[in-house]
Amino acid sequence: MSTLSLHQIRKQFGDVVAVHEMNLHVNHGEFLCILGPSGCGKSTALRMIAGFEEPTAGDIRIDDRSIGMLPPNKRPTAMVFQKYTLWPHMRVYENIAFGLRLHGFSRKDIDEKVKGALELVGLPAYGKRFPSQLSGGEQQRIALARALVLQPKILLLDEPFSNLDALLRVRLREELRRIQRQVNITAIFVTHDQEEALSLADRIAVMNKGRIEQLDHPSRIYEQPQTLFVADFIGVMNLLPAHQDGGEIIIGSYRMPVPSGNEYSGDVTLAVRPEDLAIVPSGSDAAWNGQVEHVIDLGHYRKVLVRTEHMGVLKVYLPKAVDVREATTLALQPTRYTIFRDHQTPIEVHAGSVPQLSLQGMA
Amino acid sequence: MTASQTEPAPHSKSRFSTVLPYLLVAPPILMVFGLIFFPALQSTLRTLTDAETGAFSLARYEMFFADKTSVTSLIFTIQIALESLLGLFVICFPLALYLRFNTSRIATGVQMISLLPMFVPGIMSAYALIRFVRGRGLFETLIYQVSPLLADAYYSPYVKPEGIVIGLIWEAIPFTVLILLAGLRQLDNGLIESAQDIGANRWYIFTRIILPLMRRSILIAFCLNFISMFGAYTIPYLLGPAAPQTMGVLMQRTLQDYQQPLEAETQAVITFLICSLVGLVYVQSVSGERVRKG
Ligand SMILES: Nc1ncnc2c1ncn2[C@@H]1O[C@H](COP(=O)(O)OP(=O)(O)O)[C@@H](O)[C@H]1O
Ligand SMILES: [Mg+2]
Repeated sequence: MSTLSLHQIRKQFGDVVAVHEMNLHVNHGEFLCILGPSGCGKSTALRMIAGFEEPTAGDIRIDDRSIGMLPPNKRPTAMVFQKYTLWPHMRVYENIAFGLRLHGFSRKDIDEKVKGALELVGLPAYGKRFPSQLSGGEQQRIALARALVLQPKILLLDEPFSNLDALLRVRLREELRRIQRQVNITAIFVTHDQEEALSLADRIAVMNKGRIEQLDHPSRIYEQPQTLFVADFIGVMNLLPAHQDGGEIIIGSYRMPVPSGNEYSGDVTLAVRPEDLAIVPSGSDAAWNGQVEHVIDLGHYRKVLVRTEHMGVLKVYLPKAVDVREATTLALQPTRYTIFRDHQTPIEVHAGSVPQLSLQGMA
Repeated sequence: MTASQTEPAPHSKSRFSTVLPYLLVAPPILMVFGLIFFPALQSTLRTLTDAETGAFSLARYEMFFADKTSVTSLIFTIQIALESLLGLFVICFPLALYLRFNTSRIATGVQMISLLPMFVPGIMSAYALIRFVRGRGLFETLIYQVSPLLADAYYSPYVKPEGIVIGLIWEAIPFTVLILLAGLRQLDNGLIESAQDIGANRWYIFTRIILPLMRRSILIAFCLNFISMFGAYTIPYLLGPAAPQTMGVLMQRTLQDYQQPLEAETQAVITFLICSLVGLVYVQSVSGERVRKG
């Protein structure tokens, strides 16, 4: 059983605060992704867990024992780096065996473990090669084998596949997940690629400017973003600046209801997913009218850009069944939207009362 | 090139531009041949010829190796060069490691200081060293201030083999630090961190990761320093003992004081051969590395 927890971890480089007081608990066998834009402090957080950076403040615990005082070589963590870091002067076998030798395993044990690790990553015949004779993907698999062979408690991965081409990235991602389940290890995976995070993670910690903005299951991260940043960063979102006047949202000439108990007056932002915009019969009261600017066929659905008077260009996803043409007008209404205002829990609105607008009518 | 073929006018210009690089490198190459290779070849041939009959003869070399003074000099010079190199690496490796892995302002200052000897002419630093290390010199005076007893035990390296070693090390520090530092900077941090990550302490990281990956830089520093130390003159002459002498000093003495140009020439050829041998090792290691990489 290996759990990891961070308590109020902070890291400051001179004047730059790379990580603000960060709290995180990772369960045994869990696959947690830290997702965020470049420079948001993901690597710094991971490197503090590995011991390569010393936290300015806070405590890191593995299995409820503080490891903050331990140097990297004494921590029960193992890391796979973004860059290729196999030692070029050692053959693959030696790269994997090196750590085992340092830990005083017998020759026979070493041989067994190295072979097992090579098998695990699907490269059993690669022991005699030098790293320069491997492709990028193979190098990262060997790096994974090297990290796992010592049976660490926590596996850390810092964008390990970001130097690989898209297809290979997807394959290795799936393979990594299989291996992680097989050896049942607690893993933390850092990435800036949301697709990678959404497809890999048990839970995702979305980071921005040194802070975790939301820690949740992938589906909740997408469905119920808790901050404007998460709403914008994950998936595609229409963000519409609006004004709330008591119990009503006002955008241009449109008015929309706010669930009671959320009265407020001031600026807010409305977030609407492209798939949550439905076509309504033109002329209906609350419809957002616009002109179809561009239709992009994406196989099983269409991405439609609609220019509106008060809301700029809206991104709308429509099923293939709906016939839309460029330069025609369209009446839209959101079936679901979220109201964001500064430092407040967002308000999710399911517009169940949208006048029926059904697609069948259009098709 | 295609453009110049269709337009006749700039043709002569383009021909000139293909010749230009050769013209530019010609003077140094000619100079190397004229001032070094040709005289070296001449000397080598002369030492291999009997002066009276003009026939091939190894007599001069037999004489060199039969003469106790010259053989002692040869061994002494090799010894001095190797000892200096050992000391040099013992000083420069930690220094280069410190500079590579430390980004503080102090490190920048240390780096500048380590390069200082490069800007001091050899003869000046030699005299400065003499003033510093000789008996009753600055160093002993300083020790005396701390403890007169310690000063009594002070052993001045001046006019001793140790004097030469200290002087040669002093002179070679900047170049060696630069070479080692350049090599160290080529090592990606990830290579070191991943070793640390799987449990290697500093010693293992140094011996199993850094040293093997630094092989080439070490070889370059070793060979080039050996060559310059083996042929050094100013430092051994000013700081070293009257006997034994290094090859550089021996040659000069043989030529100037004993007026034996042919013997001096033989000594020079032997010195040259030893240095070329080391040079060959250097060239091979550098080109060998390229072949393996490419
Ligand atoms: N060693 C360092 N010295 C100074 N600033 C650093 C250092 N490492 C990271 N930073 C800064 O900390 C912030 C977070 O960096 P990082 O954790 O690498 O981000 P990410 O991995 O999310 O791209 C950045 O502003 C970066 O410039
Ligand atoms: Mg990073």
